Amino acid sequence: MATAAASHRVGLRYPVIARRFKITAGTAVLVIAALYVLAPIYWLVIASSKSATSLFNSATFLPAKHIVWGANLHSLFTYGGGDFKWWLLNSFVYAIVTATLATAVSTMCGYGLAKYRFKMRGAVFGLIVGSLMIPATALVVPLFLLEHAVGLTNTYEGVILPLLVYPFGVYFMSIYCADAVPDVLMDSSRIDGAGEGRILTKIARPLLMPGMVTMFLLSFIGTWNNYFLPLVLLGSQNRFPLTVGLSAWASDLNQPGAGQPLYPEVIIGSLISVLPMLILFPFLQKYVARGLSFGAVAGE
Amino acid sequence: MTVPFLALFALFFAGPLIYSIVLSLRSPLTGGFAGLLNYRTVIGNAEFWSGVQRMAYFGAVQVSVMIGLAILLAMFLDSPYCKGKRVFALIYFLPYAVPGVIAAIMWGFLLEPDLNGALSIPSKLGLTSGPISPLDYRLALYAIMLIVTWEFTGYNMTILLTSLTNVPRQALEAAKIDGASELSIAWRIKLPLIRRTVLFIVILSIIGTLQLFNEPVILNDIASIGSSYTPNQIIYNTAFSFGNEQLAAAQSVVLAAITIVATTAFFGLVRRRVMPRSENRAVA
Repeated sequence: MATAAASHRVGLRYPVIARRFKITAGTAVLVIAALYVLAPIYWLVIASSKSATSLFNSATFLPAKHIVWGANLHSLFTYGGGDFKWWLLNSFVYAIVTATLATAVSTMCGYGLAKYRFKMRGAVFGLIVGSLMIPATALVVPLFLLEHAVGLTNTYEGVILPLLVYPFGVYFMSIYCADAVPDVLMDSSRIDGAGEGRILTKIARPLLMPGMVTMFLLSFIGTWNNYFLPLVLLGSQNRFPLTVGLSAWASDLNQPGAGQPLYPEVIIGSLISVLPMLILFPFLQKYVARGLSFGAVAGE
Repeated sequence: MTVPFLALFALFFAGPLIYSIVLSLRSPLTGGFAGLLNYRTVIGNAEFWSGVQRMAYFGAVQVSVMIGLAILLAMFLDSPYCKGKRVFALIYFLPYAVPGVIAAIMWGFLLEPDLNGALSIPSKLGLTSGPISPLDYRLALYAIMLIVTWEFTGYNMTILLTSLTNVPRQALEAAKIDGASELSIAWRIKLPLIRRTVLFIVILSIIGTLQLFNEPVILNDIASIGSSYTPNQIIYNTAFSFGNEQLAAAQSVVLAAITIVATTAFFGLVRRRVMPRSENRAVA
């Protein structure tokens, strides 16, 4: 710890200078890291305003001389019979339906595990924690075969149903329920004659709302960003979410004879698919962060 | 109330998992029971193991760098010297909202010399014979590391930062009164107190590394880095390009087993070193 001791000594003699130096050095590191994060996003915004030729000829990080957002957007939404608008719509459908249902299913299960004592409770908990260890991709091939056998591939349900199984969400909601809903409150409602279903929907639900928002956002972002599962389960373009559709366009960039490369369309399409979340993120950050930190902090 | 979840779990998680094991024991040619035939093929499959080996190297380098960076940033943000903590925390967390596919497209284009003039600067200055092309087969692994680090450093930092805010303030005050510098407080007090969180994010990162798929697939689309770069890509090709579902199932089971062994081995290895003996006994 030679450096620590040295800076300590300096700190005693020249406290103001040393402090200012540390602030500057620390801030410099933070700024460099922030540039690393922001550079590609900034580039995406700039590049989305450039024409195909200007992408290859103009300075990479400088704004375009002729901004062609309008033309690029028009091409994005009309190319190939207007597939892109379906992908955008599909992504919203997959994410909203999955997040809503996954939140309902996980909240019910978490609440059941937290608030009722039943025979197989320990076994169910073990199952949920154990399944966190199984890499989800190990399931994709058999899932495709099973869904294919019952005609679920290439459907919305086929993509949504597997994503409703969210063991981490159940684990999160069970701990959240245990803290947020006092047993006393449930008992007094029972004395007042409320049924168990009514207690969950009328008494517990308002108390669980913040946890459910976190759960909804984690599932929404996870579904919106998902690629492997829809790639395997979907065959026709008009069911694709944005990630699969854009990667299909990107895979033509390098194919000779695949027609004109779609650089401007892929770039502005990428921007459109991250923009809604990036704009909302400052407001949602604290909910998301709480959910992610949960597994780790619960173990401290 | 647990019924809806358990029903879905049985149909879309446990079912496929069991089916995967059953399928892996069947012959790709006849569909009949074939014992461990597919597993023997996996063990002799050099391509599969070179993918696993590549991911082991990837994990050793990338996970260390990423976790180190995440700890460094979280410590800075948690120190009294930091200004604008909230803004930085938000910026670092932003990539979490970007799909891996989009991150790979953005970086893939930025790492193409045709699209990014900055990569030609060294050759114009006479330092290299041609533009730097990070998506060459030789360098592609490091390009993927750059992308994955971009995607997940802030995610890990966010988890660490939440954990750091739970460090008891009295411990920090006491250290300060004793004259400890911020650096030694970070190293000797904060880091030991958040070590379980560090362990948790390292294990998540190991699992994520072994499952790598999106980034190499997209980079292959953009720059032809090869379609059998990671174990998951190989499994995908086996099942859907060659139609050998039985072998793909065996490969999936082996990959899942490797994941479980790697994480438990890491956990066992670190637990003894990270936690002092007295505490181990107290826990037991």
